[in-house]
Amino acid sequence: MAKYGFLIDASRCIDCRACLVACSVENNVPMTHTRIWMKETGVTGEFPDLERYTAPYHCMHCVDPSCVSACTVGALQVNKDGIVTYDNDRCIGCRYCMYACPFEVPHFEWDKQLALINKCDLCVNRLEEGQAEPACAATCPTDAIQFGKREDMLALAHERIKNEPNRYIDHVFGEHENGGTSTFYISPVPFEKLGFPTTHREESPAEFNRMTTEEGTPIIAGSVLTGMTGIYLALEHLQKKNPVHTIEKDLETVDSKKEKE
Amino acid sequence: MTTTVSRREFLKLGGAVTAAFAIGQMLPPLVAEAARQSGYLNANGDGFIPSMCEMCVWRCGLIAKVKNGRVVKLDGNPEHPHSKGNLCPRGQSGLMNTYDPDRVLTPLIRVGKRGEGLFRKASWDEALDLVAKKMLEIKQKYGPEAMVFSSTHNISQPLFENLLYAFGSPNYGTQRSLCFNAMIVSNIMTYGMEEPERSYDKVKYIILTGRNLMEAISTSETHDLSFAIDRGVKVVYLDPRFTKTAAKATEWLPIKPGTDLAFHLALLHVIIQENLYDQDFVNQYTVGFDKLAAEVQKYPPEWAAPICGIPSETITRIAREFAAAGKYALAHNGWRTSNFVNSFATERAIAALNAIVGNWGTTMFPSSGEQSSALGVPPQPPFPRVSALRLDGVPWKYPFVPLKLGIFQELRDAIVKGDPYTPHGWFISRQNPILSLPDRNKTLEAFGKMDFIVTVDIFLNDTAWFSDVVLPEASYLERYDPLLPVGNKAFLRQPVIEPQGEAKSALWIYKNLGERLGLGDYFQYKDEEDYLKQQLAPLGVSLEEVKAKGYVQLPGEGTEGNIKYNWNTASTKIELYSESLAKAGFPGGTGWEEPPQPGPGQFYLLTGKVAQQTQFATQNNQLLHKYSDEPRLWMNAKVAAQQGIKDGDWVEVASEVGKVHIRLRATEAIRPDCVFLVPGYGHLSKGLTTAFGIGASDSVLHVSYTDPISGSQALTQTFVSVSKIADAPNEKEHKPLYLGE
Repeated sequence: MAKYGFLIDASRCIDCRACLVACSVENNVPMTHTRIWMKETGVTGEFPDLERYTAPYHCMHCVDPSCVSACTVGALQVNKDGIVTYDNDRCIGCRYCMYACPFEVPHFEWDKQLALINKCDLCVNRLEEGQAEPACAATCPTDAIQFGKREDMLALAHERIKNEPNRYIDHVFGEHENGGTSTFYISPVPFEKLGFPTTHREESPAEFNRMTTEEGTPIIAGSVLTGMTGIYLALEHLQKKNPVHTIEKDLETVDSKKEKE
Repeated sequence: MTTTVSRREFLKLGGAVTAAFAIGQMLPPLVAEAARQSGYLNANGDGFIPSMCEMCVWRCGLIAKVKNGRVVKLDGNPEHPHSKGNLCPRGQSGLMNTYDPDRVLTPLIRVGKRGEGLFRKASWDEALDLVAKKMLEIKQKYGPEAMVFSSTHNISQPLFENLLYAFGSPNYGTQRSLCFNAMIVSNIMTYGMEEPERSYDKVKYIILTGRNLMEAISTSETHDLSFAIDRGVKVVYLDPRFTKTAAKATEWLPIKPGTDLAFHLALLHVIIQENLYDQDFVNQYTVGFDKLAAEVQKYPPEWAAPICGIPSETITRIAREFAAAGKYALAHNGWRTSNFVNSFATERAIAALNAIVGNWGTTMFPSSGEQSSALGVPPQPPFPRVSALRLDGVPWKYPFVPLKLGIFQELRDAIVKGDPYTPHGWFISRQNPILSLPDRNKTLEAFGKMDFIVTVDIFLNDTAWFSDVVLPEASYLERYDPLLPVGNKAFLRQPVIEPQGEAKSALWIYKNLGERLGLGDYFQYKDEEDYLKQQLAPLGVSLEEVKAKGYVQLPGEGTEGNIKYNWNTASTKIELYSESLAKAGFPGGTGWEEPPQPGPGQFYLLTGKVAQQTQFATQNNQLLHKYSDEPRLWMNAKVAAQQGIKDGDWVEVASEVGKVHIRLRATEAIRPDCVFLVPGYGHLSKGLTTAFGIGASDSVLHVSYTDPISGSQALTQTFVSVSKIADAPNEKEHKPLYLGE
C-alpha cells in the first residue's frame, strides 16, 4: 500500500498563510487553535544585505511515530495510508504524546476541562471524499506544499537538490529524522535557522515507548492530567486582563444618557 | 430632547445578527432547490458549486463545498485563469466574511447622531422609500448633480453606473485615483489601452517597481512569478522595504522613495545610448523615439545614482541585462502607483522601456478587458444629458483623466469647499471612503456637510457607521452578479447559499431603488436570473448550463497566434512622445521631476499591502485576524536605537494633517529614511467588533496631493515624525498564534 507524503520547499514559500487559513476552515479548527504554524528565519543580515525564509509546519506523520507508541489509550494511530490520526473520543489528555513527539507537534487545548489535542490528520476526511489533496497543498499559490505518494515526494526532494545544489542545502528534513517521516522539507538554509526542532535522533524511540505504554500507566496519566488542567485554569484566571469594553456596553451608555434627557 | 424610539428598537449588535441569522435559516432553501434540480447538490443539499471570489478585485474562480445548506469550504477553481486551482488566504477565509457575526442583515435607519452608531431596523420598503424620497428631494431642490455616487470596482458596477447616469448626476467617485490612475492614464497615453496583460510563460528578466506580488497577491500572477523565479528568471525588485517579494527576488534595490523615475530614465539612457533597443519594433510601432532619445540623453546612470541611492554600475548593468533579454524582458507597470506626483512620468518611462525592447507579443499583450460584445444586455433608454460640471474637475481641470476613473480626493475636497457647487447627498456602495481617502479628518468634514448619506454594504464598515441609511447587501456567496468575461470565457458569480436575513443582491437593490426614483426603464430585468438570461440570450446557452459549469465559452475571442495591434492613440502607434500631452501644456516626453523630500527629523511614510488583508475591507474577518501580524509601524532598527525606541514601544506618528498611536516594529527590513505603516487598520466603526481597536489608520496621516495629469493621489508624499510615548490605552490585544512557540 502506497503511503502519502508532503514535500515542503522553503525556497518557494512566500509566507502568505493561505495554508493556515485553509486548514482552519477545512478542519473546523477553533479560533484559538491551529494545526499549522509558520516557521521562519526572521529577517537576517544587515541592511541592505538581508534574507528571510519561511515554511509552514505541521505534523510530520512519522513512519513509526513516537506519539502513537506513547499513547496509552490508542487515540493516536497510523492508518493504512501512513496518516497519523487522532481520535479525541479516546484521548484522556495525558500529554505523553506531547513529550514523545520530537517535532513539538501535539498542542493541547489547555482552556478545556479535558485537554485534547488538535493536530494535522492530512485532511483524511477530505481525501476519503475523493478530493486529491489536503487543503493546505491544494490552495498553496506557489506550490511550496506538494502532496503525493511518500516515495515520489522523497525522490522529488532529492531531484531538486541535485538539480540546484546552490539553491538548497543538502538535507532532506524528515528523511531520517525520528526514523523517517512522511513530510519532507528542503530549504536554502539549515533547518535550525528556520526554527525547526533539532532532532539528532535517527531512530524513533517508539520501540522503547511501547515497552512502557503497553504495560500501561493510564491511571497515573489520568491523575496527572487532572492536576495539570487545574493549574492551567488557575494561572489563566490570574492572568486575565480587564475585559475590553463591548459594543453593547457603549450602546447602553449612550442609551441611558438619552433616557435621562 | 426626547425620543419616541424605545430602547427595544435599538440595534443590539451581535444579538440582533444571530437572531436574523436564525430566521434566514428557516426560509425555504431556494438555492439548494435550484442546485439540486441541476444535479450538483445531492438530496441532502450537499455538493460543490462553482462561483467567483470577491475578497479582492482579482476575482478568482472558486468551488464552494456546501453541506446542509451551509458553505463549509472554498477551493480555487482549476478552470479559472485567475485562480488556477488556488486561493490566497483572503479567498480561503471568504466564508467567514459571509458568516461574520457582525453582518448587517436588515436595512438600518439611523436614530442617533452621525457616528454614534445608533440605528433601528427597518423593512426594505421603508428604507428604500426613505432613500428615494430623500434623493428626489435633493434632485428637486438642488438638481441631480447635488447627489454624489461612489463605488469601488465590482462586477455589478454597470448597474450602479446606470443608477447614477439615469439619475443625472456627473459626480462619480471610484477608488482608482487612490490606486492606479498613474498607471492607467500612462498606458492610455502611451499604448492607447488601460492595462496590457503580462505573460510570464517566456519571460527571462523582470523589473518590479514596487510591485509586491508576494504580498499584494493576484493569485495566478503570484503563481506565475513564483514559477518564473523557480525557472531561474532574474527578478530585480525596487522597494524601500525588504518585503516578501524582496526576499524572493534575485536582486533587491532599496531605492529612495520617489526616485524610480530617475532609475528608469537612466535605464533608457543606457539602452538607447548603446543601441541595445529593438530598432525594428521601434520603427514599425512607435512615434517620438527621437524626442525620447534626446530627452534621456540628459540622464546617465552617474546622474541617477546619487538620486536613487543605487550605484551607477548597478544601473548600467541592469540596463544591459534587460536589453540583452530583449523581447523576453518585462518591466512590470505596477498596480498601486499612487506614490508621488511624478508617478505618472515614472509609468511613462516604464511603458517606454517595454516598448523599446519590443516585448509586445512575448511578455506583454493587448488586454481583452472586462467587457464582451458577445453578451446581451437588457434594453434601456439613453441617459439624460448632464450639463453640470463634475465636482472632481474631470475633465474641465483634468482633461486626461477618464470619466470612469475620476479623482476621488478632489471630489471630497470640492464637497468640503462647496466649490464649484455644494452637493447634498451621497450614495455609497461597497466602498469605505472614510478609511480609504487620504486625510480622514477632511473626509469626516465632508460627511458632516451632507444632508443625506446612504451606504450599501454587508457590514457596518466605517462609512456605513456614519451613514443615515444602511442597505444590507448579500455577500458574494449569497448572490448573483452579472457575467464577467475573462479571456474567451465569461464567468458566473452565483449564490452558493441563501442570503442570510434580509440581505439582497446589488442587482435587486439598484432595480428596486431605481423604480422608486422613476428610473425603472434602466433596470429592465425581472430578477437576477432574468438579467443573466438576457446576457446569455445571444449565445443560445441556458442559465442552468452556466450555473453547473460556472462559465460560458465566448465565441471568437482570445485567439492565439498572430496578434493584431490596435494602438488606440492619436497617432495609432505607441507614443513615446505625446503631442496630445504637449498641446495641453504638459510634458510630451518623459523628463525628471524632482519629488519633495522629508524635512529634518521626518520620515517618508510608506504604505503597502499584506497578504492576509484587502485594503480596508477584511480586517474584521476572524480567520484573517487569526493569522495576521499585529499591525505596527516599521522603523529601521538602527534609527530606532538612535532615537531610544525599542521594538514593541508605543510611538506617536504625526504628519501635518493628523497623528496616530501605534506600536513600533524595529527591523532591518526598511530604509533608514522611511517608516511603513501596515494599512487598513484603525477602524472607527464599533460595529466591526473584531477590527475595532486594532492598529492605526494611515489615512489619518496622508496629505492630499493630486497629480495634475493622471489625477493620482500621491500617497507617499506624506512625511511624518515619530516619537516615543507611554503605553497607549484602549487597545485590544492582538496575539497572533500562527508562529510556533
